[in-house]
Amino acid sequence: MKPRRRIAITGVGMVTPVGNDAPTTWSNLKAGRTGVGPISTFDANGFVTRIGAEVKNFSVEAAITDRNLLKFASRPTRFALAAAEEALTDAGIRPKPATARRWGLSVGAGMIGIDFAELEAVQTFCAADGEFNPDGLLDERYPADPVAFCRSQTNAGLGLLTHHFGIHGFATAVHTACASGGQALGTALKVLRRGHADFMLAGGYDSMLNPIGISGFCLLGALSTDNDSPERASRPFDATRNGFVLGEGAGFLVLEEWESAQARGAKIYAELAGDGNSLSSYRITDSHPSGDGPIQAMQQAMADAGLLPVDVDYVNAHGTSTLMNDRSECAALRAVMGSHIDRLAVSSTKSCMGHLIAAAGAVEAGVCALAIRDSIAPINANLVKPDPDCNVNIVQGQSRPLRIRSALSNSLGFGGSNSCLAFRHPEEIDLNAQPRITR
Amino acid sequence: MNQMTNTQITKEEVLAIYPKVSEIIAAALPCEVERVKLDASLIDDLGAQSIDFLDIVFRLERAFKVKIPRGKIVTDARGDLSEADFEQKGVVTDAGLARLKVFLNEVPAERFPSPLKVADIPRLFTTETFCKMVIRQQRSGTSTPAPAAA
Repeated sequence: MKPRRRIAITGVGMVTPVGNDAPTTWSNLKAGRTGVGPISTFDANGFVTRIGAEVKNFSVEAAITDRNLLKFASRPTRFALAAAEEALTDAGIRPKPATARRWGLSVGAGMIGIDFAELEAVQTFCAADGEFNPDGLLDERYPADPVAFCRSQTNAGLGLLTHHFGIHGFATAVHTACASGGQALGTALKVLRRGHADFMLAGGYDSMLNPIGISGFCLLGALSTDNDSPERASRPFDATRNGFVLGEGAGFLVLEEWESAQARGAKIYAELAGDGNSLSSYRITDSHPSGDGPIQAMQQAMADAGLLPVDVDYVNAHGTSTLMNDRSECAALRAVMGSHIDRLAVSSTKSCMGHLIAAAGAVEAGVCALAIRDSIAPINANLVKPDPDCNVNIVQGQSRPLRIRSALSNSLGFGGSNSCLAFRHPEEIDLNAQPRITR
Repeated sequence: MNQMTNTQITKEEVLAIYPKVSEIIAAALPCEVERVKLDASLIDDLGAQSIDFLDIVFRLERAFKVKIPRGKIVTDARGDLSEADFEQKGVVTDAGLARLKVFLNEVPAERFPSPLKVADIPRLFTTETFCKMVIRQQRSGTSTPAPAAA
């Protein structure tokens, strides 16, 4: 039997509220600098929450010069194009006509594809008096725009990325809310192991920082309302936490088969070693208090990677800063890790960059890769008074120097989708996953 | 009839709306307006795709307050020729080609390949082609309802 393919992370790209590339983002995360502030992209006066974690001073044109392509790219798709370009440049390899069919793409894409301005136009012309009248769509003044329709498809980003980078192999888009980015990487891992592709560009992108996204999460009471102290608003695991901060951005990784990455002299950040994917089947917006769902995702990821609890040194938690998530996730961590939980470091980098929704899992996977490379567990910022019900070993005060043999990253989605990814230091050997069976 | 309409369009009329049409095309693609020369092929010289043609037509309709039925250029060019006389199995017939060369008289003769596939007709379209389309629609009145996209 051939051994299972080992998969290397060789490229990282990010566009986040704390940096428009991966090095800037990582540097700010390590320093605990926050990217949360008053919402500036639209007038948020009147909303209970008027703060967000916006991507700042972003210009896609520095990375992508194809102006016709950009016409079809929404704000989150622009983040995706820039982050993917950075990841490919970082990896030092990209699809060429001869290899295009061996390259794949797996993306976690946002929940809302349609721009607010387009929804507003429908309301203005079709429901000015409240009653919906579809004839308004034919009104001469209605800003009918076939390009806007193309831009708003939830798979638009997938099409633009494959087109722009010349990827002709396996391609898919994952829509599992906050778990999307993590599950897109898990899908990429499986595709590579099965040999359906030799290289995968994988990641996630999202922006719900618009009136619909903010009002929806406000209605659910999920967002922090600390409008007067935005930099402290996201404080996962703190006893005073009162909701998450909505963010936006993109993260992409280049994944490839280990031996060929070594053969071409690529730098390997870490091994993407395991994927866990579960559905809580509990409630739409609640997580199970016991951690049921995330428990199975973490156990699967560890089994897939051949990890025992004692092998795990760092967990990048989903850690949204909502009362319910943080408690339930800590319960799950304790259930999975047993007594080892007190010895491994846990942090939520959402404390600095907010919740990137469909991009979160992908960006945080990149954070794990960088944490392993630099032997640093990044700080869980804004933690002053730990919630006794979140009784895990949280990286408080400052980032912690730590050689990380292996790490986990959790992404727990709305609707009950759970993703856990496992990462291993490139010098560590997988001892527990034998025998490995593959085609 | 179409040919007659065509010949009635003077260069002066075309040049009168060319600045606005070129701005619209440049904004739609997008590209620098200087590149949108009167004789530029939108596909071969400016990299337009089919969706860009739709976008341009929508923008021209709005800017010039005219209705432009989708597929208008080819149906106008075909005129009273039946579809079977105009094309066979996706290739433009000799009669069809003759019609096109008159209708698209702004396109240099050497740009017409032979045989010409129907699917490749849009590659002939230049900025002037769109100028002429707008002028024809302005003359025919603005109340023509646009049928479904073809």
